[in-house]
Amino acid sequence: MNVPQIATLLQSQGYITEPAVTMAVYLSMQLQKPLLIEGPAGVGKTEIAKVMARALDTDLIRLQCYEGLDASHALYEWNYQRQLLHLKMVETQGSVNGQTDALEEEIFGEKFLMKRPLLQAITHHKAPVLLIDEVDRADEEFESFLLEVLSDWQITIPEIGTIRATHIPQVIVTGNRVRELSEALRRRCLYLWIDYPDYEKELAIVRGKVPGVSQKLAEQICRFMQQLRQLRLEKTPGIAETIDWATALAALHFDHLPKEIIEQTLGVILKDWKDTRTAQLSLSELYEKMGVVSKLDGV
Amino acid sequence: MIHRHTNLTANIVAFCRYLRAHGFRIGPEEEATALRAAVLVTPNDRGTFALALQVSLTRSVQEVGQFTELFEKYWRELENALDSKIKEDESKKSNYQKNTQPSFDALKWWLHGNKNTQETETATYSATETLSRQDFSLIPADQLADLERLLREVSQSLARRVNRRREKTLHAREFDLRNTLRRNLRRGGELVEIAYKRPRRQRMRLVVLADVSKSMDLYSAFLIQFLYAFQRVFRRIETFVFSTDLHRVTADLKEQNFPQALQKLAARETGWSGGTRMGGSLDAFVTDYGRLLNRETIVVILSDGWDTDQPELLADSLRRIRQKSRKVIWLNPLAGQPGYEPRTAAMQAALPHVDVFASAHNVESMRALGKWL
Repeated sequence: MNVPQIATLLQSQGYITEPAVTMAVYLSMQLQKPLLIEGPAGVGKTEIAKVMARALDTDLIRLQCYEGLDASHALYEWNYQRQLLHLKMVETQGSVNGQTDALEEEIFGEKFLMKRPLLQAITHHKAPVLLIDEVDRADEEFESFLLEVLSDWQITIPEIGTIRATHIPQVIVTGNRVRELSEALRRRCLYLWIDYPDYEKELAIVRGKVPGVSQKLAEQICRFMQQLRQLRLEKTPGIAETIDWATALAALHFDHLPKEIIEQTLGVILKDWKDTRTAQLSLSELYEKMGVVSKLDGV
Repeated sequence: MIHRHTNLTANIVAFCRYLRAHGFRIGPEEEATALRAAVLVTPNDRGTFALALQVSLTRSVQEVGQFTELFEKYWRELENALDSKIKEDESKKSNYQKNTQPSFDALKWWLHGNKNTQETETATYSATETLSRQDFSLIPADQLADLERLLREVSQSLARRVNRRREKTLHAREFDLRNTLRRNLRRGGELVEIAYKRPRRQRMRLVVLADVSKSMDLYSAFLIQFLYAFQRVFRRIETFVFSTDLHRVTADLKEQNFPQALQKLAARETGWSGGTRMGGSLDAFVTDYGRLLNRETIVVILSDGWDTDQPELLADSLRRIRQKSRKVIWLNPLAGQPGYEPRTAAMQAALPHVDVFASAHNVESMRALGKWL
């Protein structure tokens, strides 16, 4: 596979890509290195993993990180209750004399092992896409543990032994910069920074994701969003908000974007009352800028 | 030094070296990755080639920003160079040293608990007083070590206070016999459910915002010491310094030894000993890093309360910070002086939005910090 093919593959799944993204995905696949993606919320970091899984026709295994996530939640746990029940049943059926070893082997077998995402990923029948989402939310200890798994691709379970990866998963790690990631993790990965999309890219995304939207409406929405992101907001709206807004406006059968409608539907894109107020106060200005740009562009 | 190499491999290796000279952390592994990447994409146009190298060699968004420029510069110079000698970049000289002397006085003063208030130098807004004292020798190593140890002690005791208790947990950590028995009593004593316990998780997160502007110069050395010591014992801490701009220094303070951490800090353009734009800096903090704050976050601001920004901006940013966090603690080194009153406009504006206002002028006052955490 080469770079243009990857681009086509991503496009075919409805992901509007840019050269940097394509290159990162391509290299990560070819070099079998994890890809670390950073960027503001709502620019489609997680989406890349989903699209990759679809494009490669494989499964997506997702490990959502959160504070206090620990190894047992990411790897495996023994189903203690089930083991206990099993023992009880054996006990009631008759004596267990002379077969203790066999029984022990049985209750520490695969049947009683609850596989968590990381173990799932390395024992999967086909190399999956492993998405480690928002890794910066997990504690530092977990990060070092993750490094170990990502470099060795093997997991040791005391009762069973070492399990080696049958296929090396395609790993995507995303971060929101809540916490500074360790240098070691960064060095293990390839790096990709995704920023808010520029006008053309956003327009293409809206056109692709919201079929019912008219060209003019889409253009106006995207221009407005570009201007809106220039404001200092608590929560700058991402692509997801743009799409929501476009979907809503298209459903209401608008084919252009009057100022009153913006004001009325601001709640779709801004989720913080202070932001809403800021936007309302500078609405005229935003609207004007949007108009100026559209006149210039509309040649 | 840039030489012209005839083949691609040598060029890439040389380019890696060039990046390293510009502060990129690139080891043999990264070089190997870059080489493999370059072979894979068989560069026929410069854009593709640049992208492949960028993905393999950068590690953060800042580096991505620098990369494009450095790449252009390197390959352009390479084309022009044709084996001619190009001057090596002037080695960046650390300019940390010139700042150390007034800080040393502060350290001494602080270390000895400031018994003699009349004679000791105190921080003032005017730059001339501190400037006139700047060419003494460096801080004696033994004093520094003393202070470092003392600070580590204090911060460790602060950290320990938090997590000696145990809490129940669902994850297997430590077997909790008492809870296990209790839970399974209703099943007639058959141990079906097992209970575990673990050290109570340190939920508290600290965000420290330290003022390193000129007026704080006397305290700066102590400040970094304190931040460094704190960073070593608190797992969940984020540290920022500000004067005219805000800088996140968490990663720099993670260095293994203190001199290295200092060097890293000094190497960054932090506007050390510049003017103060506290309102703007705090505003930048809450806008760009507001995500760091939650109900478990305690924000500690270390500043003397001299600000050249409008007090309204400071008040507004503080209000926003406080809204998002559990507590805002303002430590003012000046507050330890007898007769001090928070009279500056900034301090006046800030006080309504601060939960705790305390002094931070010696070790004792730092110990007292434990009470607020």
